[in-house]
Amino acid sequence: MSKTEAIKYTEAFEELQEIVSEIEAGEISVDELSEKVKRASLLIGICKKKLATTEEDVNTILQELDAADDGSGHTLA
Amino acid sequence: MPQNQNGKQIFSLLEVTQSIKRTVAKRYGSSFWVTAEMNKLNRYQRSGHCYPDLVEKKDGKVIAELRAILWKDDYDRINANFQRTLKEPLKDGIKILFSTSITFDPKYGLSLQILDIDPSFTLGDLEKEKQETIKRLQLEGIFGKNKQLQLPILPQRIAIISVESSKGYADFTNIFKSARDVWNYSFFQMLFPSLLQGDNAVRTLIAQLDRIQKVAHHFDVVAIIRGGGGDIGLSCYNHFALAKKIAEFPIPVITGIGHSTNETVTEMIAHENAITPTKLAEFIVQKFHDFSVPVQKAEEKIVDRCLRMIQDRKTEFTAAVKLFRSATANILVRNRNLVDRQVGSLLQQMTAQLARTNLLLQNTERNVTNLSPENVLKRGYSITRVNGTSVRSFGQVNIGDTVETLLYEGQISSQVMSKNKSEKNE
Repeated sequence: MSKTEAIKYTEAFEELQEIVSEIEAGEISVDELSEKVKRASLLIGICKKKLATTEEDVNTILQELDAADDGSGHTLA
Repeated sequence: MPQNQNGKQIFSLLEVTQSIKRTVAKRYGSSFWVTAEMNKLNRYQRSGHCYPDLVEKKDGKVIAELRAILWKDDYDRINANFQRTLKEPLKDGIKILFSTSITFDPKYGLSLQILDIDPSFTLGDLEKEKQETIKRLQLEGIFGKNKQLQLPILPQRIAIISVESSKGYADFTNIFKSARDVWNYSFFQMLFPSLLQGDNAVRTLIAQLDRIQKVAHHFDVVAIIRGGGGDIGLSCYNHFALAKKIAEFPIPVITGIGHSTNETVTEMIAHENAITPTKLAEFIVQKFHDFSVPVQKAEEKIVDRCLRMIQDRKTEFTAAVKLFRSATANILVRNRNLVDRQVGSLLQQMTAQLARTNLLLQNTERNVTNLSPENVLKRGYSITRVNGTSVRSFGQVNIGDTVETLLYEGQISSQVMSKNKSEKNE
């Protein structure tokens, strides 16, 4: 897992909101600006990727269900 | 006719049953109203006749039981009436108030022939059941449990309980399809097929919820989707077992059951309920908007804000440069004035100094003029020379020497006759 994926999208979303309000409140100095913008663009990337992709796979879930069904000794008719 | 044999009067079975039939017909000549629980409807598809099992229970135990007959024509009329009033068909397990007459058939025995059923009685009973479900959920403290779960910011992975061929399922998934096309939103959907109405729905719905629960970590939300099925047979959604299952489900359960009757208990306790599958899908898509729009806005705000910030700094810098220039210009002017003043004062002082020196010089000149030999001679002094050299010492002159005496007006030559050295000069 890369560093980017390690940040959960909900955390990314919240941190992004924080940066926006900091910048809007004028709490960020010009010196910090470049760092913050770099960070924000990383976070925006994570959020946009989340909106556009899902990593679930029906077959994986079906396999898990089969395994669970075998374990409990019954299946749905 | 009974036969006599060894003093015994003997009846045939038919004679007995016919006697009972006559007695019953005489005793129970008119119809009357009865309440009972219809345990089983026992409808025969081919004939269309029903042979319901009627029971009365006390503390869960059957204390009276009787078979009934509901002929096809009566069934059709009563069932239509039921669906109109109750939004439910005649079915197993409901309490009924019915008009009946007692019949006895030599072959089939005693039974109640149902002539009419009052749907409002059953309606009240169903409503009572619904209220009981609500009360039990509240008593167990689970009525609001599913609502308390946190729906993920992006409810992206959806376990759908529905029927693939239903209109509701199509409506629901179409909204996601267009959200994908228009906004590039991504959803993961997996269908768990189930009956969605009627008594058997309770069992299949719970079975599918059980399956989803095993793989619940793959999903954000469960959506129960029904639509296009009319309003009949929804009392299953008031069933306690189903409602309990949903209330206690580990992830949010949302419902779009699509009907116009009163809200069922399932819909009441669901995390979110929408009146149609379309509206429910739109609810989810709205969550995506709520996420996407701030992200989009964040991008715009940051760019805008940064540009403005840089512009502000630039303006500040320009202002600072301007201020610096004006400040330095002032300092220059001030210093130049100072220099000018000092130059002026210096010139003045120099002139004065020169004048003083000049005066001194003039005095000196006068002194020097006074001391010139000519002026000295004028005042009566004279210079004595011998052999062209002025006499300054006594020894320079010998007796017989010719000396010249220089006066202001001319010179005198004389011969030294004698010399007397003055004592004070020795």
